[in-house]
Amino acid sequence: MLTVAAPDAAEARCNATFEALMWSMARPGEVRELPEPGLAPIVEALIDRECAAYTDSVELASMIADTGAVLAVDLAMADHLFLGELTGAASELDAIRCGSALYPDDGATLVAQVAHGAGQRLRFTGPGIDGARDMMIALPPEFWAMRARLCAYPEGFDLLLVDGQAVIGIPRSTQIEVL
Amino acid sequence: MSLSALTKPWAATSYGFLDASAKRELRRKMLKAIAVPGCQMPYASREVPMARGWGTGGLQVTLTLVNPASTIKVIDQGADDGVNAASIRRFISRVSGATETWDTLGASIIQSRHRVPEETLGADQILVLQVPNPEPLRGVEPNMSIARQMHADADYGRLWLTLYEQIVRKGRIMQGAAYPSLVNGRHVMTPSPIPRWDVPKLHMAKHLTFLSAGREKRLHAVPPYTRVEPLVFSDRPYRVEDHADLVCRRSGISGYFMNEIPQDHGGSAFEVSDSNLGIKAIRRAEGEPVEIGATWYQDGEFSA
Repeated sequence: MLTVAAPDAAEARCNATFEALMWSMARPGEVRELPEPGLAPIVEALIDRECAAYTDSVELASMIADTGAVLAVDLAMADHLFLGELTGAASELDAIRCGSALYPDDGATLVAQVAHGAGQRLRFTGPGIDGARDMMIALPPEFWAMRARLCAYPEGFDLLLVDGQAVIGIPRSTQIEVL
Repeated sequence: MSLSALTKPWAATSYGFLDASAKRELRRKMLKAIAVPGCQMPYASREVPMARGWGTGGLQVTLTLVNPASTIKVIDQGADDGVNAASIRRFISRVSGATETWDTLGASIIQSRHRVPEETLGADQILVLQVPNPEPLRGVEPNMSIARQMHADADYGRLWLTLYEQIVRKGRIMQGAAYPSLVNGRHVMTPSPIPRWDVPKLHMAKHLTFLSAGREKRLHAVPPYTRVEPLVFSDRPYRVEDHADLVCRRSGISGYFMNEIPQDHGGSAFEVSDSNLGIKAIRRAEGEPVEIGATWYQDGEFSA
C-alpha cells in the first residue's frame, strides 16, 4: 500500500504561492497572500531552466542562476522579469516581450514590488471582475499609458505586483482606467 | 556553494506524483491561460500512469493544484462511481493525501469528463475539464499551423458556416456537445464535449475553469466573470437540450440534464446525469437531512 509522503517545505510553499498567483490573476485587483514576503517565493514557484529571467536585484539574480534559468541581460530577451523597483524603469519597459497574435503565450510576466493602496486611483474592468473594481497602486499614469499602448489584446504582458506578502495580478485582459 | 545546497533529501516519490519541473511548467502555462481566456496554451504533458486520452490533461492540472487540504471530486459524464472517475479520484488522493468526496458543495477541485455539475459552483472552487480535442477549428481546418493563424486573425467564419449548413440540411443546429463558444469576445474555444445544457454555466461564472488536453498537449482557461458566448445567429437563438420536462426514474427529480436509458420495448427511461444530485434527492426523500445547493437550472430554466 502506497503511503503518502507529506509535501516538504519547498513543495508546500510553491503550492501556496501558485494558489495565490492563480487567484490573483483570475480576479484582477483582488489581494492575495504569498506564503513569504518579496519576490523570492515567485521565483521558486515558477522559474527553472526553461526560462529566461531578467532582474535588477543581486540576490534574486543569484537565486535565478541557481534554478538554471538564463539570466537575461536585455529585458527584451526575458519571459519573466523581477523588478525591485518599477517607477524608474517604465521607459525601458517599452522593450518588454508582448508575444504576438499567433503566440500570445510569448508575452512576458512582469513581477514587481509596488506599494498597494497608495498613489494613483484606477478602475479595473474585464475578465475576472464582476462589474468594476477600484483600487490604488503606486505607479504613475505614464506606466498605465505604456501598458495600454503595448497590450493590444491578445498580445501583451501580465503583471504581478507584490507589496510585502500581498500580491495583485493584472493580466493583459484587464482594462484599466486611470481616474 | 556546497553539494547539499544543490540537492534535496531523498524521497521515494514526488509529492502529487508530478516532479517539480513539470509543476513549474504547468503553473507558468496556467497563469498565461488565465491571462488570455480561451486561448490554447501548449505544454509538455508529462507521462502519468494512465493512457493519453483518459483524462491525463485534467489529471496534470489537478496534481499541480492539489495539496493535503484539498477536497477532490471526480466525475465521468456526471457520475462519481464510473471506473475512470473512481480510479482518477483514488489515484489523486493516494499521491496527495487529499480528501475524496462525491459532494459538489464540499469539493475544492472538481475534475470532470464532459459535464459541469448541476449545483452552482462557488467562488473558491476550481473546475478542471478533461478535453479530448481542444481545437474548435479542427473540423474545418486540419492544418494546425493554419488554424493558429485563423485564431490570430479571429477568423471564425467557417465555424458559423458549419452551423449554417446544419440549419440548411436539418432545419436546426445539430452540434450537440463541444459547442464552439466565443470567450471574452476574442477566442473561440471548444468547451470540451460538455452538452449544450452546460455551456451557459461557464458564462460569467463565479468559479475558475481549466480545460486541459493531455494528448493534444494544450490547456486553456475560463476565469470567473468571463463572457462565454455560444456562436449563434441573431434569428436562431441558442437552445439547450429539451430535458426540462424529463423526470428521473430513480430520484423523481426533473428539470436537469438526463441520461437516456433505452428500454426493451423500444421506449426510453431517464436518469439524472449528475448522479450525486440524484443520490441527494433520494436521501432527502427518505428523510435524511441532506443539503442540496442552489442549481444553475430551476424547473428546467437557466437562471444565473
